[in-house]
Amino acid sequence: MKSKLFYLWSLITVALLAYAVYEAAFVAPMEATMFDAQRIFYYHVPAAATAFSLFIINCIASIIYLAKRSAWADALAVTGAEVGVVFCAVVLTTGPIWARYAWGTFWVWDARLTTTLLLWLLYISYLILRRSSEASSTSVLAASLAIIASLDIPIVYMSNRWFRTNHPQPVIFTDRLDPKMGLILMWNIFAFMALGILIAWFRYDLERLAQSINTAHIRRAARGSFAVILPGMLLWQTSAHWPPIRYFHAGAADAWIIYIGYIVLLMVKYSRLKKEAAELRT
Amino acid sequence: MSLSITRLASVNLRKDLRLEWRSKDVLNSMLFFCLLVVVIFSFAFDLTVEETRRIAGGLVWTAFLFSTVMALNQSWARELRNGVLDAFRVSPAPAEALFLGKCIGNFLLVLLLECLMAPLFVIFYNLTSVGPVWQLIIVFLLGTWALVVNGTFFAAMSIRTRNRELMLPLLLLPVSIPAVASMVLATAEVLTGESSPLLQIKFLAVYCVVFTTACFLLFDTVLNAE
Repeated sequence: MKSKLFYLWSLITVALLAYAVYEAAFVAPMEATMFDAQRIFYYHVPAAATAFSLFIINCIASIIYLAKRSAWADALAVTGAEVGVVFCAVVLTTGPIWARYAWGTFWVWDARLTTTLLLWLLYISYLILRRSSEASSTSVLAASLAIIASLDIPIVYMSNRWFRTNHPQPVIFTDRLDPKMGLILMWNIFAFMALGILIAWFRYDLERLAQSINTAHIRRAARGSFAVILPGMLLWQTSAHWPPIRYFHAGAADAWIIYIGYIVLLMVKYSRLKKEAAELRT
Repeated sequence: MSLSITRLASVNLRKDLRLEWRSKDVLNSMLFFCLLVVVIFSFAFDLTVEETRRIAGGLVWTAFLFSTVMALNQSWARELRNGVLDAFRVSPAPAEALFLGKCIGNFLLVLLLECLMAPLFVIFYNLTSVGPVWQLIIVFLLGTWALVVNGTFFAAMSIRTRNRELMLPLLLLPVSIPAVASMVLATAEVLTGESSPLLQIKFLAVYCVVFTTACFLLFDTVLNAE
């Protein structure tokens, strides 16, 4: 099922992640006003970049599916949406942990935050549709919804011009970002993109396996949403006295719990499907 | 087969309206539901006139949004029961005609609901508009079309799923949030007269054009999905 290339890619990903995460936690220079809490940035931004890329893949794959009706495009579309929702959940949970330190509140109805939340909701509704439609029509209906959802994204961005924003402006590729920080951020983006590709690859193989034995019980939509209660669990007391490093730890723990939790879920499902496929073959 | 799309759509529309006129199933339940929402809101929020002006947009549109969802679910369920969809799949008539007829039918129905409920809102919440009322009418026409065109499309999608009626709000609401937000803002802006709703009206117009086009192009795919 899985090629040597997949294992090679896993090794590369692990190496990249180890380097990037170490750099982010210990080497990157301390930020002047937010201290260690700012390091959450190295989780937040890469996750956002990966999530966006995956949603774009979902849209393109859906168009290909409607045009050609090829099963691989459908598998790619569901992969993009589901893994994208997981990465988007990391964005939506690490953000509030940082915001609790920097703004003193978990959530404000600010343009960027609202936009990202809407994006997340859209793709969850996509996953719910996939789960509950009748097997024969799932792919076509889901692809149509994906196209509508991708049309909604520019509109959502347009609509939030009339919200004020507290969200830090983009600093990447500008001279407001310390070059050392910029470099480490780039490494982190590479590493988490690699992780995204790895997870998506795994998810894609899994979907193909599911298709091949014709048991498309689509994964329960957005288990990652559990993670939304995480910041609350980690920081539920109003602890204004926490040192900034605690916020970074909370953010990092949150991101890793989501990533690893999702990978474990996929592995459990993979082994179940493998068993089912083997039983069918005998 | 020289029938044009508009002709076919008007046949569909007349059929829908006649059915609704004779049974009044949808209109009655929508009206009653909307009335309940109005009453519940007035219990839930104890408001002064000034406060009402500011939040009335939200109240009105929430009530209309949920009533619309109810109506839309019914509009396709009837066709499914009587096998009209299967008949349409085998007929040479373009699916777009069916969709257009349904959209206009639902649009008229929801507009009728809004006209009937508007006096109630005015009476129960002491609403008076500071800004010009004609702007309010434009906002309501555009807003209702935005809800109905997406809603009709997603209702056709959701009747193909296992939990039918349950699916519609789950699909419709996330896509409609930007439109609803701008309808609410525009309504509040007119009612309070504090600023011009022109930006929101433009936004709603763009939203209507984009989604009307997309729904028309994709409806055939959804109707024949297998």
